[in-house]
Amino acid sequence: MIISVNWLKKYTSIDLPIDQLATLIGERLVEIESVISLGEKYKDVIVVKVVECKPIEGTDHLNATKIDDGGVVQDIERDENGLISVVCGAPNVRAGILAAWLPPQTIVPESFNTADPFVLSVRPLRGVKSFGMLASAKELDLFDDHSGILEVDKDVPAGSYFAEVYELNDYLLDIENKSLTHRPDVFGVIGFAREVAGIQGKTFETPDWLNDITPRLKPVQTIEAPAVHIEDKNLSDRFATIVLSSIDEKAQSPIQLQTYLSRSGVRPISASVDVSNYLMLLTGQPSHTYDYDKLKAIAGNDFSIRVRLAHPNEQLTLLDGKEIIMDEADIVIAAGDVAVGLAGAMGGASTMVDDSTKNVILEVATFDLYHLRSTQMRHGIFSEAITRFTKGVPAPLAAPVLAEAVRRLNKYTGAVLSSTISEDYPGAHEQISVQINEQQVNATLGTHFSAEDIAELLENVGFTVVFNGLNATVTVPYWREDIHIPEDIIEEVGRLAGFDTINVTLPRREFTATQLSAFDTLRSQVRSLLVRSGAHELLTYSFIHGDILKKAGQDTNNAYRIVNSISPELQYYRQSLTPSLLAHVHPNQKAGYDAFAIFECNKVHRKSAGFTEEDVPNELDSVAFVISRAKTKGDAYYDAKTYLEYVGDTLGLKLRYEQLSEEDVTAAPFEPKRSAKVYDVHSSVYLGVIGEYKKSVQKSFKLSQYTAGFEIDTRALYDAVSKVGIQYQPLSRYPGTERDICFQVPTEIPYQVIADEVEAALRETHLITSVEPLDMYQADGSITKNITVKIKLVSYNKTLTNQEVTSVIDTVAKRVVKATKGRVI
Amino acid sequence: MSTVDTQGVLQMLLQQVADSHTPREVLKAPELKQMYGIIATLPPEERGAFGKQVNDLKIALEQAVAVRENELEFADVELIDITAPWSINGSRPQLLPTHQGTQHPLTKELDTVIDIFTRMGFEAVESRQIDDDYHMFGALNFPEDHPARDGYDTFRTEEGFIPPAHTSTMQHRILKNGKSKLDAGGHIAAISYGRVFRNEDVDATHEHTFYQVEGVFVSNDATLGQMLGTLRSFFETYYGQTLRIKTQPAYFPFVEPGLEFAIEKPATIGGKPGEWLEMLGCGMIHPNVLKDAGIDPTKYRGFAWGGGVERLVMLKYGIEDLRYFESGKLAFLRKFKS
Repeated sequence: MIISVNWLKKYTSIDLPIDQLATLIGERLVEIESVISLGEKYKDVIVVKVVECKPIEGTDHLNATKIDDGGVVQDIERDENGLISVVCGAPNVRAGILAAWLPPQTIVPESFNTADPFVLSVRPLRGVKSFGMLASAKELDLFDDHSGILEVDKDVPAGSYFAEVYELNDYLLDIENKSLTHRPDVFGVIGFAREVAGIQGKTFETPDWLNDITPRLKPVQTIEAPAVHIEDKNLSDRFATIVLSSIDEKAQSPIQLQTYLSRSGVRPISASVDVSNYLMLLTGQPSHTYDYDKLKAIAGNDFSIRVRLAHPNEQLTLLDGKEIIMDEADIVIAAGDVAVGLAGAMGGASTMVDDSTKNVILEVATFDLYHLRSTQMRHGIFSEAITRFTKGVPAPLAAPVLAEAVRRLNKYTGAVLSSTISEDYPGAHEQISVQINEQQVNATLGTHFSAEDIAELLENVGFTVVFNGLNATVTVPYWREDIHIPEDIIEEVGRLAGFDTINVTLPRREFTATQLSAFDTLRSQVRSLLVRSGAHELLTYSFIHGDILKKAGQDTNNAYRIVNSISPELQYYRQSLTPSLLAHVHPNQKAGYDAFAIFECNKVHRKSAGFTEEDVPNELDSVAFVISRAKTKGDAYYDAKTYLEYVGDTLGLKLRYEQLSEEDVTAAPFEPKRSAKVYDVHSSVYLGVIGEYKKSVQKSFKLSQYTAGFEIDTRALYDAVSKVGIQYQPLSRYPGTERDICFQVPTEIPYQVIADEVEAALRETHLITSVEPLDMYQADGSITKNITVKIKLVSYNKTLTNQEVTSVIDTVAKRVVKATKGRVI
Repeated sequence: MSTVDTQGVLQMLLQQVADSHTPREVLKAPELKQMYGIIATLPPEERGAFGKQVNDLKIALEQAVAVRENELEFADVELIDITAPWSINGSRPQLLPTHQGTQHPLTKELDTVIDIFTRMGFEAVESRQIDDDYHMFGALNFPEDHPARDGYDTFRTEEGFIPPAHTSTMQHRILKNGKSKLDAGGHIAAISYGRVFRNEDVDATHEHTFYQVEGVFVSNDATLGQMLGTLRSFFETYYGQTLRIKTQPAYFPFVEPGLEFAIEKPATIGGKPGEWLEMLGCGMIHPNVLKDAGIDPTKYRGFAWGGGVERLVMLKYGIEDLRYFESGKLAFLRKFKS
């Protein structure tokens, strides 16, 4: 929305410079996107009188004119009468008219602020010297009329500054519509001006005609008016019409009015249309004009206008020629039973006013904003009118706008009032009043306003405030139907006075710091462990392409699907994080990063996870990790395992690995022969999956051979970790001892069997013990492998003798040999 | 009846599938094509029966292809000892160097923000990533079909769930859970943080996925002045300097009054006096929102705010493109070595 400051000034005084005004409006009413200075491009345009005008011989349309600029332009060649020579090709140029002259060295306003500004010069045309040019409305960048030069329609002396004559020394405020969703009243210049007065601490005088909500309109003659019926009061609060006859649809409105329309972004068309648009811009109330005779003919015997919902499959041809099939939730304006308009959005072609129209029906109405909003979306109509309707236009406004429209149409088009108001007004209601008290206002805002302060702020913008002690009854003006509760009034008081004038304090309360939830703490810990071990934390989109799900072996039917996604790439909620990470491996390797680890901690969603008590989907927390080394060959599994062991060990867990067998959602991308399910030994909690990826997955994500990773359920990890007690063991005062022992076992014996047996044997010693792998060797083609472990032993009571150590190692060896059918070497 | 031996062809093709390393290729076999060609040449009364035979053959073949593909997938995949610490004849894999690791700049910044608020006495609750209309809109005083919903450009799932467009989706839950604290004479102080989603086309300054932090405070004497004080205090701690603040009126259905909150751009990030940064939307919690959570708005008042995290990070580092955050580009992430 564009608001002209000069237009505002017709309704309230503004004594602030433009930048301060813009700041004040920003602080107390609405954010201003930008301020455009209009006057700059008109500063050199002069109103001149065409004194002489003669056709130039040998041309079909050029005229040599002599113009009178009142002598205001310096250093220019003049004839003996002080006149200046300008050649003009416009068909309407003639002696006696006032025109807009662009002197030499000035820029044509239409090209102002463009990449290629057109600077005028003195040049000979057909042997006649032409100084600058006489300009059309289009060249003046006023509106789109290039049929001839603009004829100044005000009686001003030659030499007047054009910008002053038409109030073009103006600033335009550009405002984002959606910042004012809740304020239909400021979608009109008068409403905006009222606020500008209020925030400057000034009393606003609403024009009398706008305050008169029950105007008396006396028809000059009487033509039959249609009866008006709103068939369901939920569709419209009010639908008012009036009949005018002898309208001149070809009449043009005054240039000044046209310039106000065009600087607000509305194209001037004809006086009849301009009046409707002008009043909409002024008050926020749209109106619509029907050709009386066409509508009457369509209505037939039932000469009525009905507001109803569309019938099933009902069709309508709109003003712009588009044919639509209406939805049963669209509000329709019907002549009798025949649809002639899509309410609030666009009129129909069948009752369209044209140059031959003589009699019109003028409609000023309001419609249910929720219905219109869905109509707007359904049919893609985003006009200035529906923008205002969908903010909720107050019903009482219809009458003063109707009355003002009648006055202006009569003035500009000669239209004669030919009926009284014919309307249906089911939404009439008592004026809203709200009870407030001074204490409540100040306690909410943290301010110290007196009752008088509060009353003055509100009365400046049309509220009536009657205090009785500290309590007040606030009567809300008809244009503020958004106000219902004390908080609404409190907002007005704070806003009009300026929220920035409020004394800033901190809450008074008993203070205690809080800390992160235990789960969040654990997640941060996992994150920093992985970062510390050289991995990169990634954040990737929660939505993924169905193809990625399929590539990862997951079922799209188990994924929540977005129905209005931006693209297929963002169509499904992801079920696990691994596929998202895999998608980022190849691009990074292509970008030159050979070896890296990446991980993400985030939420995942699966339909199979069911619902919470609130009936919303259960969310799962996950941490996924992938390591890839483009130039390495071998079993990447153990690389990923080293990472997982590092995390698990630091968190106090002891992890157990079981060959991956049956698949679940998380496991889907993993190759069972080279993957494991991971459990915590102490708590027996199942944590997740670790491994390399299936061949098909490697292929579709273009993974290098050496790639593996894991995905752990963070909540399960939390459960396991929360069962871990303090693991500190007191230090022994005695030295410890270490022994390496090598077992030769059949190749199919897993390492875990040896580790388990060693540990079981050591547990019985009541010593402080530890065991770690040292070496794993298998000769080419051998059916056995050699596994060496290092055993550490410490006693709390004494220094262990060689004999005692050997005895422990023997026990260990026997146990392992028995379990593995191997031998010690 | 056609004399083509469909069974014979099938057997031959099945054998090809069983021997092939690229079994899907067999589906393009000329024999199959020919059989489809024959259908059109048959008298109409024979077409149906023969067509069915050909189709059955095709289905049998496709099943065989799927089986073979599965076989190939698992064939010559070597079983490993998943309990071993490293490969046989190998050695313990080395972790990547610590200095290579990076925490994502957004989670790092979020940590800082959460840290300040928890020290100010606010509990931190993670926001949901899928929610219902009630929590996203209904409980926040957005009636159905309210035009203010348009501003949120929400996605929806088939079931009508919503990827939340603001962390305020947690506000109703925070209020409901905190009610007992109010009843016990205390107050509610919480933030919710997390990922939110909007149906927006992506460019250097727009993302469909971003992070927000929402704050909620309710007590028996909360004021708008206290809200401004709390927010200023947060930003002063965050930037480590005193700051000027300003506001402008704004409309959000769940607050009344509603404001946009701006700070004067701090010198620490290159700000000059008079340069303002809009940081967040805020306001006094609408009585309807309190009522919906079972809190009596005549006894308690509250304030709430919500703002984006990306902006803080972009301003801090001078990041030029919002899209980097979710790009997964190591080139970007390696700029944030911890």
